[in-house]
Amino acid sequence: MKKYIPLFLMLFFASATVTLAQTDNISPARKQAIDSLALEKVKDLSKYISIIGSKETQFSEANRVMDRAEELFAPDAEMGVSSLNRKEIAYYKVRNYFERLMALNYDRVNITWYDIHYISDLERQPDGRYVGVITVYQRFEGTSIESGLNYRDTTKKDITIYVEKKQTQIAGRTIEFWDVMLGDIRVTETAA
Amino acid sequence: MRKIIIVITLLITSFGMAPGQGLFSPGSPKDDGRFAASTKQVNQFFRRFNAEESQDGSQRYYSGDALFRDRELRGKFISILFDNETSGISSQMKTEFMREVLSESQPQFLSFHEGEWFAEVLAVFQYKGRSENVTLFLKIQPEGLGYEWVIDKVVFQPFKDIFKKPSGTDKSFIHPLSHELGFMNLRKAFENSNTPESYTPKEYVPDYLTLFLYELKKGSIKFETISDVKFHFFQIDNWYFELDQFNRPGFNTGWLIGDLVKLKPGDKENILDFIYDQK
Repeated sequence: MKKYIPLFLMLFFASATVTLAQTDNISPARKQAIDSLALEKVKDLSKYISIIGSKETQFSEANRVMDRAEELFAPDAEMGVSSLNRKEIAYYKVRNYFERLMALNYDRVNITWYDIHYISDLERQPDGRYVGVITVYQRFEGTSIESGLNYRDTTKKDITIYVEKKQTQIAGRTIEFWDVMLGDIRVTETAA
Repeated sequence: MRKIIIVITLLITSFGMAPGQGLFSPGSPKDDGRFAASTKQVNQFFRRFNAEESQDGSQRYYSGDALFRDRELRGKFISILFDNETSGISSQMKTEFMREVLSESQPQFLSFHEGEWFAEVLAVFQYKGRSENVTLFLKIQPEGLGYEWVIDKVVFQPFKDIFKKPSGTDKSFIHPLSHELGFMNLRKAFENSNTPESYTPKEYVPDYLTLFLYELKKGSIKFETISDVKFHFFQIDNWYFELDQFNRPGFNTGWLIGDLVKLKPGDKENILDFIYDQK
């Protein structure tokens, strides 16, 4: 029996390590703070999208806002878009998506956001970063004066957020903080 | 310094006050309750099923909170988690399911990390110059410091068409005294038969996932897009249900239970065979 004791101890420590590593150690209070930070980034994105899409925005200003909007995203983030008629996802790089939005052929564009959102739990990835998803709803209205056509849709946007603990040096002291970056966005046209 | 603060303040307020621009700005359209009612994420399906969030979804309940997994709240939530428009799940079946899940002595909950659920993803790949549907089955597994989705199985019709093991008198075989000839008859077996799978054991099942990965690595299969996603749950004792996304007008939308089956012994294996469609 004695010869199994080291094995039991080894197994105990190994399983304890795995359990610790996979436990979500973000407290509810911390989660709430991270949610607020993430929501601020999503609010910024929603503002930028509204500005980029608006026909009143000058070209140079739209480009400046696109640069700012891109800074919210992790590298290689993509937009995956589907509509009611086409369930297959069309993929766009974030910058490309903004440029297509700016180039839409309407005389007047109005982009607004519904007063509702949903924030998922944060799940830990193999690399230790946390990932979550924030869902928001956007209403788009485009008017073409020449043809007199109005186009209107409501899209659901599921926005990936990456949450990472980072460190910085301030006055010689190491300060830890949580940083949030936006990732891939799934855009679904809703039947609402 | 004061000037900088004033400029920054003006900049921030000018963004915030632009009507109808950002999220929750004064011009935001009001949700009439449909988006609030919708089960917007699979995550929300778990939280509602377990009663781990408030009715409007704005507050997450944790162990120790008064309403955490509250039985009455769960009952209200679960009753709205069924597709009531197209699936035709009988009310008797729903009642029986809810009675078992909400049992006072042994309530059952869903767990994101504890297996017995998986995703079915309908994808489109380019193969031999054509767009072909590929069904991928993914499951959650622990990895490194967290978790990841991994591809567990794949169904691809062109692969299935390749492997059709004949049976009965149509099946070729290697006769039982071949060993005495040093298996010299393998030459005939391989050259004269286009169904070499005839020479495999009864329990042989082609490993389509390995084939699929091989073709991907060779570059013969290329990803195009995703066209549908659903989930299969076996976490509740003696029950199976399917989770589908319903994008339609009204209040009964989002991720909902689209199929519900009470399992008898052996049913789980039959349903899995049907889902995987591998035989």
